[in-house]
Amino acid sequence: AGDPLITEIQDWNRYPGDGVDAFPYGKPSQFESEVVRRNVPWLTSDSISSINFTPLHELDGIITPNGLCFERHHAGIAVVDPQQHRLMINGLVDTPLVFTMADLMRFPRENRVYFLECAANSGMEWRGSQLNGCQFTHGMVHCVMYTGVPLKYLLEEAGVKTSAKWIMPEGADASAMTRSIPLEKALEDCLVAFKMNGEALRPEQGYPLRLVVPGWEGNMWIKWLRRIEVGDEPWHQREETSKYTDLLANGKARRFTWVMDVKSVITNPSPQAPIKYKRGRTVLTGLAWSGNGTIKRVDVTLDGGRNWVTARLDGPSLSKSLHRFYYEFDWDGSELFLQSRAIDEAGFVQPTKDELRAARGDNSIYHNNGIQTWHVNPDGVIENVEIS
Amino acid sequence: QDAALGEKVFARCKACHAVGEGAENRVGPHLNELFGRTAGSIEGFKYSPAMTKAGEGGLVWEDETLAEFLAKPKDLVKGTKMAFAGLKKEDEIANLTAYLKTFSANAASGAATPAAPASDAPEAPAEKKSEAAPDAPETKAAAATEAAPAEAAAEVSEEVPSHGVFHLGRPATEDEVAAWDIDIRPDGAGLPEGRGTVAQGETLFADQCASCHGDFGEAVGRWPVLAGGQGTLMNERPEKTVGSFWPYLSTVYDYIRRAMPFGNARSLSDDDVYALTAYVLYLNDIVTEEDFELSKENFTSIRLPNEDNFIDDDRLSEPHYAANIEPCMKDCKPGKAEITKHAAVLDVTPDSVDDEENTGGGID
Repeated sequence: AGDPLITEIQDWNRYPGDGVDAFPYGKPSQFESEVVRRNVPWLTSDSISSINFTPLHELDGIITPNGLCFERHHAGIAVVDPQQHRLMINGLVDTPLVFTMADLMRFPRENRVYFLECAANSGMEWRGSQLNGCQFTHGMVHCVMYTGVPLKYLLEEAGVKTSAKWIMPEGADASAMTRSIPLEKALEDCLVAFKMNGEALRPEQGYPLRLVVPGWEGNMWIKWLRRIEVGDEPWHQREETSKYTDLLANGKARRFTWVMDVKSVITNPSPQAPIKYKRGRTVLTGLAWSGNGTIKRVDVTLDGGRNWVTARLDGPSLSKSLHRFYYEFDWDGSELFLQSRAIDEAGFVQPTKDELRAARGDNSIYHNNGIQTWHVNPDGVIENVEIS
Repeated sequence: QDAALGEKVFARCKACHAVGEGAENRVGPHLNELFGRTAGSIEGFKYSPAMTKAGEGGLVWEDETLAEFLAKPKDLVKGTKMAFAGLKKEDEIANLTAYLKTFSANAASGAATPAAPASDAPEAPAEKKSEAAPDAPETKAAAATEAAPAEAAAEVSEEVPSHGVFHLGRPATEDEVAAWDIDIRPDGAGLPEGRGTVAQGETLFADQCASCHGDFGEAVGRWPVLAGGQGTLMNERPEKTVGSFWPYLSTVYDYIRRAMPFGNARSLSDDDVYALTAYVLYLNDIVTEEDFELSKENFTSIRLPNEDNFIDDDRLSEPHYAANIEPCMKDCKPGKAEITKHAAVLDVTPDSVDDEENTGGGID
């Protein structure tokens, strides 16, 4: 008697598997086929100019695998041959320059881990709970290690004039994406990156070249980067006027809301990852991040914010990257209201959704970093809710 | 007929039509198995009454009928909701037809050039092979022609190693900067010479923009609404248009010039863009005369109504950030938590129910 998986000899224990070259570029196990990006078709008019979501509930640690980093395009995935790619720097510089990819490879390069969050992440939740799963409510975030050239070196190579105050990166895709960025930020920590997690950027992440703007909204991280203009005033492009401006209850709209605020979410258990046992030892885990730097502390509650405990941060704690937290407990099989609350190194505490609504109304779309609630019922089924 | 060139032409259809594996109906019906299909016959797609009637009258999509339709849709089917003006060039129609045929098992004749993407057709592997052979040298040839400017560039940089710290890259030429530096600022910096009237813009708009944005900027499906919405910014569902929300006219010119029409960016002349910008102003009642002409000279005299309602980022003054108090850990709220909002009520999570009904407020 016993588990036949143990008492009987299994095929994989008897017959050899594929040889070394079966998958020259390796793939995840066939049993992980559910672990994919997903989109929400009603969000946008068309899949060419749309978004999909990272399956946060299927991942652990702080690094997002390249093939699972959420995608957001405004005119589809541009196909750019690196041999034919050029990066131009023009405007208020001593010498307007053109670089090939080969030129860029000769600059000193750096490796840095950063989260990238779309400003609209959780944007569908402003009016109330809508989507059942952290993939959909929080999946417009990913975190990888970039290899690239500090933008400062490229700007110094062209020689920035003293009157310069802004830069405007531009993409080579059919939307020719553009954003205005203060020169101060460009010189501080922006990277012109060509690798993610050690390999070339994925096409959907801007291959062969993208801008990295640490801690700031993802829309500014121009993909297929082909030009950087230097100027003395912002350009007020479509993506910083019509979009990515935060409409308040009084009809005013905030512009240039660049920093992504302190935020966290419990990734397991969560609606797509219910509890499948009746009671006992349970691992609660999640992610926290802040555009202001590192995460200093994450608190979690099981009773909907009546009482909180401090969770255990594990793994590297890097500025402007994802942080992983855990809280292990014995579930007694009763209903739970799970929440997490992050505090960053600047001292900012993640607000509640109601606090954000009180300050901004329901029409902001962007920058919703409110505390998320998951309701666990005694069957272990989990729903996205808001509570008193 | 060249299916590969046809695929490029199809970029102009892609905003509304899908074709190939897994293609679904969008603004327009999917185009798989188009050849031999009776017009207006895809079940579940909401055709115009005119298209349904045309199908009932015997219109079947074949080489001739499709060529006629693509040349001027509204001539063949008066009342079709396909707002596309039509393809003017015969070779574009022929190439597009060849491309679409690769997705139709029934394509009777004349598919002279086999195209690669017909993955489920039985002869596909053979086609792929016959394409693969000529493909390789072609790619090499392309690489060789590409190498020419790159080498020239390298020579220039040898001559001028003086810039910067690392002496990498080469000076950009004036023509190169002019080709890419097309951005416009609110103060008018970057505006090209040129002009266009509301009336000229209206014609262009009907041809190139109305298929997504609607004849009057009211939008088709979920494409952006361009006009109206004044006074709605404090409503439950604000309508953010050029007239009601956008702060600067320069953004309209800049964006049309760099990214429109969707599927055929950078195809409009500077005068076209002035005319279209003028027409968008007209749709928003910001100018009222059809003979109004927008030009580089009068551009910055026009202000959009909502300009003053944009403010700087003042998030840090919000109470939850400004208070800077140590968060509560014990007995923070009275009573047991009660659910006030359920995601399950709206049920707009993908794969949950009927996606058609799911319109829970978009983010675009």
